[in-house]
Formats: sequence, structure tokens, C-alpha cells
Amino acid sequence: MAEIKIKNLHKEFGTGEDKVVALEDVNLEITGHSFVSIVGPSGCGKSTLLNILTGIETPTNGTVEITSDGHVAAPGYVFQAARLLPWRTVTDNLLFVQEDRSDETKKRCQRYLEMVQLGDKGDKFPGELSGGMQQRVGIARAFSIEPDVLFMDEPFSHLDAITARALRRELHHMWDETKKMVVFVTHDVGEAVELSNRILVFAKGGSLEDDIQIDLPFPRDPADDEVAVAKAHVLRKFEELDLLAS
Amino acid sequence: MTTTDADATTVETPANLRVTEEELARRARRTELTSRWFWRILSYIAVLTIWEFALLDIFSFLRGSPLDPKLLPGPSEVVSTFFEIWGEGTMPAAFQATLTRIAVGFGLSFLIGAMIGILMQSKWFEGFFKDAVLISLSAPGLIWVLITAIIFGNRPLGPTIAIILTTFALVTVNVSEGIKALPKDLIDMAKSFQVNVFKRNRQIVIPHLAPYLFTGLRFGFSIAWKVTVLTEVFSSSEGIGFEMRISAVLFDMSEFLTWILAFFFFALFLEKVVLEAIERRYFRWRQAVTAS
Repeated sequence: MAEIKIKNLHKEFGTGEDKVVALEDVNLEITGHSFVSIVGPSGCGKSTLLNILTGIETPTNGTVEITSDGHVAAPGYVFQAARLLPWRTVTDNLLFVQEDRSDETKKRCQRYLEMVQLGDKGDKFPGELSGGMQQRVGIARAFSIEPDVLFMDEPFSHLDAITARALRRELHHMWDETKKMVVFVTHDVGEAVELSNRILVFAKGGSLEDDIQIDLPFPRDPADDEVAVAKAHVLRKFEELDLLAS
Repeated sequence: MTTTDADATTVETPANLRVTEEELARRARRTELTSRWFWRILSYIAVLTIWEFALLDIFSFLRGSPLDPKLLPGPSEVVSTFFEIWGEGTMPAAFQATLTRIAVGFGLSFLIGAMIGILMQSKWFEGFFKDAVLISLSAPGLIWVLITAIIFGNRPLGPTIAIILTTFALVTVNVSEGIKALPKDLIDMAKSFQVNVFKRNRQIVIPHLAPYLFTGLRFGFSIAWKVTVLTEVFSSSEGIGFEMRISAVLFDMSEFLTWILAFFFFALFLEKVVLEAIERRYFRWRQAVTAS
């Protein structure tokens, strides 16, 4: 079972007058098959937190432990833009992040491509696919390494509403089937409520302001009263914390 | 009036007439390509026809032909001279000598240019090499050809140095631009998936730099080609340039034009057949990006 422990995490960029505090004294624990959304206004340190969790950036202070059954957990990452190698085919993009190119690995990659409805696009180059399809490849790539934890940084923000909705459903289905932990960054409260069982609210300056449990059954329809009420509840928190204006 | 499904008539396209969008796009591409080639070939035919007819005696009423066949032989005579020279075995030997010079000179130039391009990522080395690159880019190749001809005479080092001085900067600029534009987002992606540095370089850095290197190779080669022939004109005892000089000294215009045409067609062959084939083979993904 995957586990994330963050203690006194602090991150600054620049020095002197140019110093910007991106994260301030963040303490957090996430365990098991959770879908945790991190929400907050622009510049609240959401993406910085994800970059630290995945090792792209190092913290100024504090510690981060990501384990799975006592071992260092393997992370997968889905980015805002798909970040595919344009000179490699879809299948090769998935194989790029694998440890080997054995038949078993290739079969696994194909299985995940089929899960995102792109089973027949393996030999296409990313430039031949639509934005939504490219993001699907990004999701399949992250799942294909069968990570213990999946980090997602506003993966649907560049897509149109219909494609984003379809992909949210696919993602939820995959999360449910694979029993992975997902840490999902978004600025869309509705998206967070639809997908997550826990929402972490960050404020500008990088402080963790609230930790909200959403105990509603899945799948959730944004038009359902209960979902609308939960969304209103989160937005009220935003209002209390004076985050809406920013 | 009310109609039902049963009333509706269905018009079906026969299977053999059904054309997919892909097929239509393929046909459009083929038509475009055929038309492009048609006009290109037509331009050659037009020039050759005008050239041949300008030399005919039909212009005698204009105080003789405007062109003297001794000064400018017609294309048919040039073609027959071409086969004559080819039969003697002079042409392959001259091409071999010239191409060897280009391979050595431009090979070294490519390595030196790429190395300087990498070094120029440091601001100190950028300051050190910046003006040298600028001078190499702006100075006419003829300057280096004359300098090296004076200093080295007939020695093979002359053309090699002239090629390096005229072409290294093109490679440097392209490599430097390529490194500056390294896709940090893809490298970060690879790091987050714990892809090792060797694989990152092999699958991200090198493919990213390849089009920049290819551009440097393409332009550098076309200049190296011209500079080499020029050095041979001034200071060599073999190669295409040397053969041109001999024809010019002997006032043999037919042979002189034969060498020019051979040079021209070989350059065209390299560009249109070899380099474009490499581009199609290794940069197929760029066509996919452009098409989308």
C-alpha cells in the first residue's frame, strides 16, 4: 500500500528581494487507494508540490517520503501538456519510460493503450493525434509503468469540456480498476469534487489551508444534487479563505 | 404527409467507388507532386531548347547567330563531350578527388563546428568564439580560398583549411541554437519517470539536435562543395575545379560547360536524392507535425 508523508515542507525560489515562497510548512499524509485533489488559486504552489514529490525539484527544507509496502514507491506522472516525444511513435513513447522492451512489457503497454481507446494508434506519431488523444497517451504512459502513486498536474485543463469529461470518466475507471493512489492537481473545484475522495485546499503563499473529505459514491455526476452541494461546500471554504478573488 | 423508415430509400455507393479520406489525401498529394515535377522538368526543357535554338543558323539575317558556337557550344555538343570525357575515365577520377577533399574538410569542419557550438553554451567561450563565428559567416569563401592557395599552394591542407574556415560557423550556429532550445519539459518528464541519463540523451537530446545538425550539414555541405571546387581552380592538380581550369586555359568551352553541368547535376542529385531521402527517412515525424 502506497504512503506519502510530507513533513515541514518549505520551498523558496530566488534570493533577497526576488525571493518567492512557493510552499510554506506543509505537513501531510496520504495513504492507500485514495484520489486526492490539490486545489487552489494560481501561484499557490500546487505544481511545485508535485514537482517535489516526483523529484523534479528539491525542497528548501522539510522531508518527503513516498513508500509502498516499506519500499521506495514508483511514481507515474501525467502533465498539463502530454509531453510526448514527437519523434517517437505512440507505442515507443510508452516503451521509453519502461525498464525493458520485452514482449511482456510491450503487451502491457498495448493493454493500457486499449484502456484509453487508442489500441489501434500505436504506430502513429503524436503529431498525427488530436490534443485529447495525446493526453490519453500521456495517461496510458503513466499507468503503463504500473506506478504505486500517480501524480497528475492539471491534465485536462488544455482540453475542451466534452473531451475532458470523457477522459475524467476513463481516468476514474482506471483508478478504480488498478487501485492506485492518485494525487491530482487542478484549479477546477468541480473536477476535484467529481473525482476525489479528499480535497486539499492551498492558499497563495503555499500554505495548506484545508483538508476536505468527500464521502460520496462513485461514479459522480456533476448534475447530481449531492455533488453540487459538495462543490458549493468547497467553494464556500474558498470564500472563507478569501481565495476566490485570486 | 408522414413517412416511415420503410418509405425511405437508401442510396448506397458501390464498394468499388467508396474512397476513404486517406486515399483522397494521398491522391491530392500525388497530383501536387506530379504537377510540381512537371513544371520543374519543363523549366529545364525550356532553357535547353532556347540555348540550342539560339545557336542555329536561322538567325543569319541578324548578321549571323547572336551566339558563336565556339564561344558557347549547344547542349547537344556538351552532352556528347560529357560522354566522351566519361568514357576516358577522367570524370569519375575528378569527382573522387573533389569528394575526398570535401569529406575530409567538411568532416573535420563538422566536428570542430559542433564542438565550438557546445562550448559556446558557456558565456566565456561564447565571448571567445563569437566574432570568429561572425567573421566566418559573413566573409566570402573566396577570401579563404585565395589565402590558403597563397599559403599552402598545391598541398592538400589548403582546401581542407578553406573548407573549415567557411563552413564551421554554420554548424556552430545550428548546434548552439539546438542546445539552447533543448526541450526541458521532455527532460523533466523523463526524470520524473526515472529514465537514466544515457537513455535521456539517446532518445531526447540527440533526436532533438538531429534536425539542427542536419540543417548545418545541408548548408555547410553546399558551401563546402563550392569552396572545394574554387580551391581546385586556384591551386590543385586534380579534381573538378582543376579540370575546369584546364578547359578554360585551353579555351575548350564545350569541355568547360561539361564540367559545370556535371558539377551542377551532381549537386542536384545530392540535394534531391540523397539529402531528401535522409530527411524523409529520419524526420518523418516532422511531416506528421506539419500535416496536423
